[in-house]
Amino acid sequence: MREAASPPGGSASNPSRPHQPPPGASEDRPAGGRSRVTPPQLQPQRACLNVPNRSRAMASVTEISAFTAAAAHVLCFAGLAAAHSLAGRGALVSDPARALRLLVVCEAPVVIAVFSYLRRDPKSCSFFKAAARGLIGLPVGAFLNAFGAIVLGAPVGIKYWMVTIYWSLLMSLFTFVPAACVFGASKIDWQNVLSHSIYFTPTEVENYMISAPCHGAVLGAWLGAWPMPLDWERPWQEWPICVTYGAVAGHLVGMAMSPVLIAVHKRRVRAKAD
Amino acid sequence: MGAAVAGWTVAAVLLQVAGLSLFLYGFFPVKPTLRGFSGPESYRMPSCGPVSAGEQEPALPPDQLRSLYRELAEMPPVYDRLVLMVIDGLPAEFVLGKGGKPPSKELMESMPYTQSLLAGCQAAGYHAKAAPPTVTMPRLKAMVSGAIGGFLDVAFNFNTQAFLEDNLLDQLHMIGHKLVMLGDDTWIKLFPTLFARQDGVSSFYVRDTVEVDFNVSRHLEFELAAKDWSVLVLHYLGLDHVGHIGGRRSVLMTQKMKEMDDVIRKVHSASLQDNLERTLLVVVSDHGMTEGGNHGGSSYEETDSLALFIGHSVERPHCSPYDQNEALQVDLAPTLALLFGIPIPKNNIGVLLPEVFNSLTDNQKLRTLELNSWQILRLLQAQMPAFCLEDCINWEGGLGIVVHPESTEKKFCHLLSKAFVSHQSSRLHQGSNFMSAEAQYVGTSVENYYGFLRYASEWLSHRATDKPFYLLISAILLMIMSCLFLMGAVSRLFKGQSLSQTDLLTESYLDQRWHLDEVFILTGILLYVISLGSSSFVEEEQYTWNFLTSTLYLIFLIKTVQAMLKGSNSVLVHRAEEKRFDGNNFSYASSYELTPGKRDGYKLCTILIVLVAGRVIRAWHQGGINWVHFPDISKLLAQADSSIVKSLQTVSVLAVVALYSVSLMLLRARSKVVIGVWLSHIYCGLLVLLHIWENQINTSLPINHSTTSIARLFYGTASVSISATILASPWIFPAYYTETKPASSSDSNPVKDIDSHGISDSVFLTGMTYTVFWCLLQLLLQQPINAIPLLLIFLQTVSSIAHFSLDKTLHKQWVQVIAMQFLGMAGHFGLGNTNSLASIDVAGAFIGISSYSTVLSGVLMFIITYGSPLMLYLGMVVYISMKDISTPQQLWSYVLDKMITMPCLLPLLINSVALTSYTIVLLLMRNHLFVWSVFSPKYLYVCAATVCTYVGVFLIATTAVYTCAVLTFRARGTGMSPIDRIMVY
Repeated sequence: MREAASPPGGSASNPSRPHQPPPGASEDRPAGGRSRVTPPQLQPQRACLNVPNRSRAMASVTEISAFTAAAAHVLCFAGLAAAHSLAGRGALVSDPARALRLLVVCEAPVVIAVFSYLRRDPKSCSFFKAAARGLIGLPVGAFLNAFGAIVLGAPVGIKYWMVTIYWSLLMSLFTFVPAACVFGASKIDWQNVLSHSIYFTPTEVENYMISAPCHGAVLGAWLGAWPMPLDWERPWQEWPICVTYGAVAGHLVGMAMSPVLIAVHKRRVRAKAD
Repeated sequence: MGAAVAGWTVAAVLLQVAGLSLFLYGFFPVKPTLRGFSGPESYRMPSCGPVSAGEQEPALPPDQLRSLYRELAEMPPVYDRLVLMVIDGLPAEFVLGKGGKPPSKELMESMPYTQSLLAGCQAAGYHAKAAPPTVTMPRLKAMVSGAIGGFLDVAFNFNTQAFLEDNLLDQLHMIGHKLVMLGDDTWIKLFPTLFARQDGVSSFYVRDTVEVDFNVSRHLEFELAAKDWSVLVLHYLGLDHVGHIGGRRSVLMTQKMKEMDDVIRKVHSASLQDNLERTLLVVVSDHGMTEGGNHGGSSYEETDSLALFIGHSVERPHCSPYDQNEALQVDLAPTLALLFGIPIPKNNIGVLLPEVFNSLTDNQKLRTLELNSWQILRLLQAQMPAFCLEDCINWEGGLGIVVHPESTEKKFCHLLSKAFVSHQSSRLHQGSNFMSAEAQYVGTSVENYYGFLRYASEWLSHRATDKPFYLLISAILLMIMSCLFLMGAVSRLFKGQSLSQTDLLTESYLDQRWHLDEVFILTGILLYVISLGSSSFVEEEQYTWNFLTSTLYLIFLIKTVQAMLKGSNSVLVHRAEEKRFDGNNFSYASSYELTPGKRDGYKLCTILIVLVAGRVIRAWHQGGINWVHFPDISKLLAQADSSIVKSLQTVSVLAVVALYSVSLMLLRARSKVVIGVWLSHIYCGLLVLLHIWENQINTSLPINHSTTSIARLFYGTASVSISATILASPWIFPAYYTETKPASSSDSNPVKDIDSHGISDSVFLTGMTYTVFWCLLQLLLQQPINAIPLLLIFLQTVSSIAHFSLDKTLHKQWVQVIAMQFLGMAGHFGLGNTNSLASIDVAGAFIGISSYSTVLSGVLMFIITYGSPLMLYLGMVVYISMKDISTPQQLWSYVLDKMITMPCLLPLLINSVALTSYTIVLLLMRNHLFVWSVFSPKYLYVCAATVCTYVGVFLIATTAVYTCAVLTFRARGTGMSPIDRIMVY
């Protein structure tokens, strides 16, 4: 279960290699088979013990406070705000490709830097390695997001290619890259990112920091697509403008939510400890 | 429990049917119309007793008929020639002003000639209120027949658009008038054989405002010079197009009105040249327009249409042309009929327009009113069979006048007898020398006639458009009740399931917490129901379904990936699963020995197939109403060579045949019956191929006999082989295991096992046969361009079933059933269907039918339109065969319960939710602008979808029940009879 064994894309959902059995699934697995593990939503703490090198890292990572998460999100928000001020008001509607490009260019370094700094295994993994993970994750996540969008009905005409690419890069920065930087290729964590159960069962702090903005962005984009078939004949109904608005709004809500969730979680843990 | 659930379900369905039919009856009233044409009998007083429709008088030649009518009418026709000029979409307000005020100066100046005629009292103008739906074809029908058709007329007259009711044009034609038509081709659709000369223009290119009118006016000079016609119909579409583009205040509007004014001037001056003043020019509009230039609803702006009469009989010494002269659009029919000396059309509910008969003597005026009253009386008698005029007169004659008549019937009686009595007395005083007395008598009888006519007309038109509110509310209550019944049944089912789950499957990792897909399905249905309230979302429903379905399958993808990521955990599940599968039938035999990794791969693959196929289907037809002109694959293919389409069709047929063969291979039993079905399927596939290629060779001939006979051969073979499969499949399977596993059948347990195998195998065979034959039938009937989408929908069905059978614990069963139903709806729109009635494929409904039959072609039309949802219901039969039904208690009712309750109840419930909520939406929107153009057609689709659900559920239920019944019967008899072995080998 080391990172070298399976790159981030392969562990998430790699449509190009569907026949390959995932390493953890077969019975004669090298690492995971050592101990019998209960479903992680039920007992996340024990699930983490499963991976030895991570349990070492746990001690230093759990220190992430609501404040740290909030600071990280503020930095990311600053990136978005900078792009917005550079592009100018209404740029997304008038020239979506340029506005999205600016957003990606401003946001990418910030996100990769911030989340590589917050990587979960700082001992075993250097900052640059985490940043490289993020850089690899960027196109992979973009591909996955573009696949999802196109399956959901995004237009595939040639004139939409550029905006689709930029949009999916932006979505990748909102969803995939932070997780890639922080978690690397740890399967359980990826599974937690995909799951919605973290909102109901106590889990680790990073999950809130990563998942809430990610889920917010996806949900926002999904909801943002609803006005598209209406016959209002507004320019912002074009792909991907309202979807981008929705995604950014959802992402911001998620970013605002995650420190709150972390704070609530900490209080709960403290109460339990008492 | 099973019996109770079934009882509740049946009760719910019955309630739903009752509610739906009540609502349909209330919302779309079908008024009784009189068949046939008015003849000489319309000049006689209607007699009592039943309306005798049968007595047909011998058809007279036109000139004899004309003189007969003249004789019977006791007056000569006022005009000989008619120019009916229809200006599409012109609001009366533009010409006559509003509320007693003349129109704005700009509008006045844009029609100088018309305004001068109005000011000179040479023309009489009316605000002729049009009845909704304010679209062209129904309005033209109303004008020429005087009847307000119901909305369902549109739906019922699908195959033939020709107008069959009694109407002015046919009557004029019958007495020898020669008709010429220039303009909108709707007239030609309505009267395909009537016109001696015609030039139809299509309203298709709404962007064109110039050419469309030029094509009419270019003939004008010739036609005005020609003397051979006596009825000229001009229909100008340009003004409506101007409205659609720029609304009422479009810059093009005044220019267009000037053009129309010019035409009026030309026609009028040409008619004046005759000097005989025998030509009547009538300028009408079929409907008005809203501020934005749309029409279809029932607002004042849309219904305010114009009726302007220009001719000698309307001239009067003084007038006030801009008074708000209200009339109904249908009043045109009796007015024109009496001006031209023909009988009033039978179903007319209009009333004579008084100012148009100025040139007649008082007696003639009274005669026209009498004729109109008799005609309306006949119509009343058709609506109220007991109503009789003679009784009225006898009953009331001596008694004097009742001041407050109670019932409508008595009110009619009273008004009518008053009118006839006063007419009689005015006739008696005719000879008297006191002019004032005579005028007074005439005045009262005219008043009395109008009293009756207006009341009767109003009553009749309300009969046609009124909606009995309480009836509709009670219908909706019935539907809500049925919906609640179904919900109750489903919740019972869930309760029962969770109980049995805690008993049996405690080790299952399915916890009671809500999963993402389940939450999404509930949210999605809620969002869909909300979206039904918006006309845009109803118009573009294909987006909603595609979006929801793709999202659902993306969530499946995420769940699958998540399960894969769970690594160690999933192995346990698989192990447990495999333990349960041990000895259990699994029709995809290969997946039986799959390693978990391979299984995961297949799971991913099947979902990806569904997703990608769904996207391709989405791109195939743009669909909808607003963006239907956007490019899509079907338009690309339509431009391409037809051989490409043919080869795509061939590929689809071959793929379907191949898939069926593969699935039969997976079936472990290969009895003669299976091979027979397989062969007949291949034969049917060949027939479809032959039909496709035959069509290509003879593209010039629309109907040719060889294709018809091929299609018939296909229908015959397919129905025989399907029914043979259904009947035979439960009889051929169970013996199989007694041959292969003789060692294990020592005690009673294996016998039960065998039973469940038999059920699965035979249901699988039946379901697969259903699905593939359905697929072939669709390939035969659908437009050639839909071949690939059909194949893709079939692939989606198969992959979904495979996905659900590969991992039975990943998604709950109700999620799986609903996912399949979602696929069906997405596919329905993927085949190019929309929520407007225009997209129904009428051409396919005549394949294999040589003579016209409404029922047969209606059934074919239904099959074509609901091809995709029905395919998914048939696929559901395959799906239930994949279910894990080996349980300790092998009671057949228990098996049945596990197999069919969910796939039957859930579609019914979802359909019931959609139907009920949409009915409520329709009731709320009954005064909405788009109620006739958007919401009502969609309601017809919702009703048809309900029928489709019933058909699908019925098929699933009967197949499963029959199979179980036969197997139980056999198990009860000899456990393993020698006959079984004989049948297998």
